[in-house]
Amino acid sequence: MSLAVQVVFTGLSAGGVYGLIAIGHSLIYRLTGIAHFGLGDLIALGAFITLFVAAGTQPLTQETVSGGRMALAIVAGVVACVVVGAAGYFAVVQPYIGRSAIGWVAATLALGFAIHAVLDAAFSRPAYVFPDPIPFRRVGNDGLVEILGAQIHVRSFAVIGVAVAVAAISSWVLQRTWFGRSLRAIADDPDGAAIVGISVERTRALAFGLAGGMAAIAVVVAAPGTPFETGTGALLGLKGLVAAVLVRFAGLWTAFAAGLALGVVEAALGTGLLGHLPGLASYRELIPLLVAIVLLAFRPLRMREAAE
Amino acid sequence: MSTPAVAAIRTGAALREALASARETWSETATAGGVIVAGALLAPLVLGGLIATDTLASGAYLALAATGLALCVGLAGVPSLAQGAFVGTGAFAAAHVLRHTQLPAEVCALIGALAAAGLGTAAGFAVRSLDAVRVAVGTWLLAWLVALALGVLPWLSGGAQGLVVPTRRLFGFSPTPLVHYELAVVLTGLCALALVALRRGPLGLDLAAAAQHRGAAAALGVPMERLRVGAFAASAFVGGLAGGFVVQLDIVADPTAYGPLLSFELLVAVLVGGAAAALGPSAGVVVLGLIALAARALGALAGVAGSRFQPMLEALLLLAVLTTGGSALIPAVSTAARRFLPRRRSRARPAAASAPKRRELLRGEGLAKHFGAVPAVDGVSLELAPGSITALVGPNGSGKTTLLRLLSGALPPDQGRIELGSRDVTTATPALRVRLGLVRTLQTRSYFGELTVLEHALVGTNRTRRHGGAVRALVSTPLYRAENRIAEAHAFAALEGVGLAADASRPASELTGAEQQRLMIAAALATNPAVLLLDEPSAGASSADLDRLEAILLRLKAEGLAMLLVEHNLRLLRAVADEILELELGRVVHHARNVRL
Repeated sequence: MSLAVQVVFTGLSAGGVYGLIAIGHSLIYRLTGIAHFGLGDLIALGAFITLFVAAGTQPLTQETVSGGRMALAIVAGVVACVVVGAAGYFAVVQPYIGRSAIGWVAATLALGFAIHAVLDAAFSRPAYVFPDPIPFRRVGNDGLVEILGAQIHVRSFAVIGVAVAVAAISSWVLQRTWFGRSLRAIADDPDGAAIVGISVERTRALAFGLAGGMAAIAVVVAAPGTPFETGTGALLGLKGLVAAVLVRFAGLWTAFAAGLALGVVEAALGTGLLGHLPGLASYRELIPLLVAIVLLAFRPLRMREAAE
Repeated sequence: MSTPAVAAIRTGAALREALASARETWSETATAGGVIVAGALLAPLVLGGLIATDTLASGAYLALAATGLALCVGLAGVPSLAQGAFVGTGAFAAAHVLRHTQLPAEVCALIGALAAAGLGTAAGFAVRSLDAVRVAVGTWLLAWLVALALGVLPWLSGGAQGLVVPTRRLFGFSPTPLVHYELAVVLTGLCALALVALRRGPLGLDLAAAAQHRGAAAALGVPMERLRVGAFAASAFVGGLAGGFVVQLDIVADPTAYGPLLSFELLVAVLVGGAAAALGPSAGVVVLGLIALAARALGALAGVAGSRFQPMLEALLLLAVLTTGGSALIPAVSTAARRFLPRRRSRARPAAASAPKRRELLRGEGLAKHFGAVPAVDGVSLELAPGSITALVGPNGSGKTTLLRLLSGALPPDQGRIELGSRDVTTATPALRVRLGLVRTLQTRSYFGELTVLEHALVGTNRTRRHGGAVRALVSTPLYRAENRIAEAHAFAALEGVGLAADASRPASELTGAEQQRLMIAAALATNPAVLLLDEPSAGASSADLDRLEAILLRLKAEGLAMLLVEHNLRLLRAVADEILELELGRVVHHARNVRL
């Protein structure tokens, strides 16, 4: 029982981040019909800009930074995501949408690897410890609380809470605001949206950046729990893509739920909750990936492909 | 005369013919390619002091893997992001075989290549009918799957330190970096030659057609799924071969060396050098090598390892190529060179000749197709007799095009059966139906933008070929060459039939809309059909175009073709139709026979 509780909380906290990235992938696919292979690296950019503003590139000396500076740092990270994401969209992705698949595939990959390489050059240590936005250490028993016999990190609650909050805000924006309605109009019919006066490309570009920025917030909250590498972003982007593929780039909450589920499944496989098969834990990342490939190949088409 | 003497004479004649045909197809490009490969073989002598030979050798294996990727990206137009995974599969499979057996080095590399080809076949099969987004996503996930598997499964990868590989003699030589380098250059040259041979042959035309217009290629019976599986398998085989040899050069199989970054670098090499040119990927690898040198210099300046800058420079280079929209290296060079070189004489045009005609009756019985609850076609029966034109009319949405798609096999019917002659083709694939003599044209103006007019018709003739396979194209057998000439003659005959023979060498994109419609009819005719299904061939036609179309249809009817014509133009209908079927809401509401009498 305590193991199950442990798995659920660890999984949900990882899954919250996957879920937000899955939302980003899903949104981008529905808006433009492409997959963004550099999204994970864009998220890493947001996280590292936040780290840079909060603490510089040196090893961390204090455990937490002041609330004001941390808030400023998070804003800077999100703004960096939006600016770089949108600029990248305009400069190299947009010209190839609908024209050359190899063009946009190469463009999004190149954006990702370029960001990754810049981060690698600027942050040359193998791994970084992020400052905590909230001093979790002081809550409970050195940052841990006991629930049904399981020791749970207080941070897990914060990560899950922030992820749900960001998803809820995104959902609200999508449903209630002019920007959100523009997004949905473009997803339904880009030409129609352009006719009624929506600036399709500007909206798409903004969405490209925001997709990275909103995931970066959750990453920043989650990051202090473990050492964070410049390559972690790419791996997170992959997990988000797997979650999005599992639900065929579905709507916002479905994609988010897929991310949560992926996190829990990974945690369950990793901790041997599903029986102690020898070496099963090493397959925890491989199995969802394999399932996603098989589903991608053998499930019937959906949405715009079905119309052809 | 004794049999050996006859055989010797025959062999001599075949060799002379092969030589003549080689001379005919030889070009400045081929000379340039030969000079480049020869120069590459000598490169270690020149660059010996500058670049370590083992660096050159791994670069040459990278070029081999990139040339393999060009099979997928350049030839088939499929965005494969898993080439690094195929190289890794070849490397680790070969490493395991080397460690556990005493098999010769070349055999171990070959086993690695076969393992990669197996994975490539599976991947190709999985994505055989997917659109570009899902192919890219699927292959990207595969690239990560292999990379992560090598990272977390020590029994597979030997853990963090990798697998140490025993060295054996390579083709009788001691396995020095120089021997590896020369081997890699020879293999890359051979692979580039194979690319050229395949691209010029029927498979290359089919692949180009499929890459440029899926629907139109499917209508002409191009077996796209099989071609795609083949392209993946072949490109994985070449990648795996590179991997199988490169571990022997490195002496260790490093589990971190075959990640998504390798797939990306190979893609950069192909796109920067030129996916369509045989030596493009190799040129791209040379550029990557220069980038590595630049990165090292930059790293020395900044006081960090150069490898940190390399992916950035590669990404920036690709971004620069993409943003400027500029063409890749090799195409740019060859376009520039062509301006200074004398234009080649175009080859003598073969006499047009038609294939013996096939005549069959097409019968559809009780055909029905529902989309959800909506009946698109609801119990339609029809018969298309040789030498007759049946017109299909009705308002938009009455099910005309759906009926055409049922007959051609693009859609499976919910009910009913379709017979071509005495054969039941209800469940036959579109490609099989085209081979059996049932072909359709598409409603929308559709053509293969980068092919010439003659090549369009040749895509059609590919369906009637029997000796056009990859192996025959690679070694250019006498049968293959003879069939090439026949195919060209048939293609010319089809073009003459629609009045486009004079435009044979023009790009199809230069034709007018009505000419493009006639071109697709010619391509359909080149499949030597017994039954032709035409979907609004008069769309966008001027009055003069209509006259020409009318003459073409009447001639085809006189030749005994059975035709179904979906058409709104009443003038054309009155002039050519023998029977008129009127559809409404998927049902035949009116059937006029003998309207010509």
